[in-house]
Amino acid sequence: MDDQVLDELRAITGDAGLLTDPTRLLAYECDGLALLQQRPACVVLPRTTEECARAMAVLHRAGVAVVGRGAGTGLSGGATPVKDAAIVGLARMRDILELDVANRRARVQAGLVNVDLSFAAEKHGLFYAPDPSSQHACTLGGNVGENSGGPHCFKYGSTNRHVLGLVIVRHDGSVLDLSAAHVDPLGYDLVGLFVGSEGMFGVATEIVVRLMPIQPVVETVLAIFKDLDGACDSVSDVIAAGHEPVALEILDRLTIEAVEASIFAAGYPKDAEAVLLIECEGSEAEVSSSLDEILAVVKRRGAIDVRRARNANERKKLWAGRKGAFGAMGRIAPDLYVADVVVPRTKLRELVLGTTKIARERGLKLSNVFHAGDGNLHPNISYDRRDPDEVKRVLEAGDEIMELVVKAGGSLTGEHGVGLEKQAAMTQVFDGASLRAMCTVRDAWDPERRMNPGKLIPVHACREMRGALRPAP
Amino acid sequence: MERSALVDYAKSLDCIHCGLCLRTCPTYQLTGSEPSSPRGRIYLMRAVAEGKLDARDATYREELDFCLVCRHCESVCPAGVRFGEMMETARAGAAQAAPRGALERFARWFGFQVVLPSRFWLSLSIGALRFAQHTGLLKLAASFAGPRKAALLSMSAAPPARERRLLPPTTPARGSKRGEVAVLEGCVMPELFGRVNRATVATLSDIGFESRTAQGHVCCGALHAHNGELEGARELARGTIEHFERLGDSPVVVNSAGCGAHMKAYSHLLEDDPAWKERAQRFSKRVVDFTEFVGAHAPDDWKPAAAGALGKLAYDDPCHLCHGQQIRSQPRALLDRVPGAARVEMDGAESCCGSAGIYSLLRPGDSEAVFASKARAFAACGADVLVTANPGCQMQWEAGLKRAGSSARVVHIAEVLAPTGEREP
Repeated sequence: MDDQVLDELRAITGDAGLLTDPTRLLAYECDGLALLQQRPACVVLPRTTEECARAMAVLHRAGVAVVGRGAGTGLSGGATPVKDAAIVGLARMRDILELDVANRRARVQAGLVNVDLSFAAEKHGLFYAPDPSSQHACTLGGNVGENSGGPHCFKYGSTNRHVLGLVIVRHDGSVLDLSAAHVDPLGYDLVGLFVGSEGMFGVATEIVVRLMPIQPVVETVLAIFKDLDGACDSVSDVIAAGHEPVALEILDRLTIEAVEASIFAAGYPKDAEAVLLIECEGSEAEVSSSLDEILAVVKRRGAIDVRRARNANERKKLWAGRKGAFGAMGRIAPDLYVADVVVPRTKLRELVLGTTKIARERGLKLSNVFHAGDGNLHPNISYDRRDPDEVKRVLEAGDEIMELVVKAGGSLTGEHGVGLEKQAAMTQVFDGASLRAMCTVRDAWDPERRMNPGKLIPVHACREMRGALRPAP
Repeated sequence: MERSALVDYAKSLDCIHCGLCLRTCPTYQLTGSEPSSPRGRIYLMRAVAEGKLDARDATYREELDFCLVCRHCESVCPAGVRFGEMMETARAGAAQAAPRGALERFARWFGFQVVLPSRFWLSLSIGALRFAQHTGLLKLAASFAGPRKAALLSMSAAPPARERRLLPPTTPARGSKRGEVAVLEGCVMPELFGRVNRATVATLSDIGFESRTAQGHVCCGALHAHNGELEGARELARGTIEHFERLGDSPVVVNSAGCGAHMKAYSHLLEDDPAWKERAQRFSKRVVDFTEFVGAHAPDDWKPAAAGALGKLAYDDPCHLCHGQQIRSQPRALLDRVPGAARVEMDGAESCCGSAGIYSLLRPGDSEAVFASKARAFAACGADVLVTANPGCQMQWEAGLKRAGSSARVVHIAEVLAPTGEREP
């Protein structure tokens, strides 16, 4: 990158806010998807919306592509750098600007870590619902970009249901303030459009979110199964019977083993083939009647034991095990590919079986941990990125899993976004007209296609439509 | 040099790049820069092992030196990455790949090989410090010390010579004897915190244990290992094991969290030494933190002496106690047994205070920046007394609060638990 551009950027963010040393840039090569790597040209770390806007204006004039990044925990390559691009990182923008308890909302800087908002809100009896497993690391800005979910989104909905307003720095450095929070969007719902746009519409620097009151009673139960099918069928039955627990999560045997070997050991029985984690909340009466019925269903489907958490501490432990599951897989192999597909909940059992078969055929080690309530499967494939043949088989298996799921009426992503990982598969779900409509919307936000170029939209789909119009990396 | 010796490649493969460590890392919190996080550092170590990065690279070494090795990341790592051990290997590897400058080499040799293992030199150094603090010589020296000026001036006061004395070889149990323990006196402890050592054995005596010290033993080598001086560390480890073997197989009670965590890891440090491997394992099993031991062995009806004058206490977890040894509840439970002391929780008690062994001397600016958020949390919790369980942290808090103009007291937990008659002003 041009020295003059770097000097201009440094003048805005200070020395500590601009990384150009190739060694430091190496640490930004990938996000949570370690399969794909690309070193960026520089990393800009603004402290305010204003600094971010000025830096983006400089990058605009220089024609440099921009990849937004929070904590780099995403699993679809959304924050993987693009060649010669600048990373605009939000890691130094993590203040809570306003906690409006009476109106149950908060205004935060986009680099705030998800769980830090929950900790702050907790003191006022409130919580922020979307709780990705990476919530101790991921930023709310990243959650907005990927429309992230989490176990509790089964009942409360993903990030898009909880974002009320945004301040966005656009591709040219202009600031779009959409933060005057209205309960119902007035006019076009630009905020709704932006959530889940994977960094291709601009960089969100401030976010206004909805907070919810903590329910009086929360019950967490661990149901233990001798086979995975029983756990899957329980979930289908519970939902069919009209119950609405806040979370229904399944972990299979391999995952249980990894978790139990880690510091997040939650007391999941190691000889179980699967455990189902159920959480209900509400008033005392609601919780106890609905939980009784749910447990009856679960037992009918073959649960050999159910254990209720007796206090907040035990509950926390059960969840820490679930949320540490991804990282715990580091014990099995150096790398983990976390697929993220959504299946119709009535077909959980057959599709779990199908994904297992796909991995087994390729000699890959697959484990399952998923938000069963949403039908959001995470077939996890353990691998070693130093083995090119294994990497190839992992990618093939990922593609085939997506194909299988789409055929069964499911979707490519539940919460991780499309990014680089699922880009090619988009054509399985969307026809040309739909993809073209997406391109049109994108061009309205970023006519030069400099924002996170080469992600989400299959490149050839856009090229077909617009001829030579290519991202300007 | 073999790439395999530069970093611990096998351990680096445990990291799955999930990022759960980022939020806990003091240097990432300061900078927002990923190479200054555990995940980033591991990524760089892995790059060295795979030949993509030269271990002599100045930025790589700077990122290694910037780390406080507080091991907070280990407490949240689902994959169980042993980051502290990886840092020791990486620092040693980097120093071998590109030797430091002559002056730095001399300073390190003098500090690690001459002063720390020697009671004579330690005593002389602290005596000289007291002289300098009292004569104003230190102020003069500080004016030439550039960035280290504030750190020098706010250093804990070296106690007078009468307090800088070793423990007696044996301190009998009060009343009927319930058992025997060996006590680590430590290198700097007798010189700067003799009163803490005396409070430690007085407390042990109070709960019915006779304490014995390892005569002639000085240094466990923790500071050496943390700074990548692995050969020096191994030599001191072997010496430590020998000294304590002479005291039988009683528990080795340690009142310094950094030393305790390190001595519990001797089995790892000497795992490739066939002659010492088993002895190290046996020794490591004997090592127990002071709070761990008192918590487990104090009689149910034991009450530490009333500490009415202490007021509101906040306990700050030393990193190498909570992250290095997973000891969190015992010190709190003990403080809650002290009549008249009201304990409050401080936000971020498990975060590093910036002391980190000799880090506060090597990188005073960064150390003070890390301390700043701790000082805010302490002020916010409203306590009058800060309780720690590690001498380095005690010095850091004394110096930091002095700089901030706070009148709060800083004490070691043993000073709170010791019978009143034994407590020194």
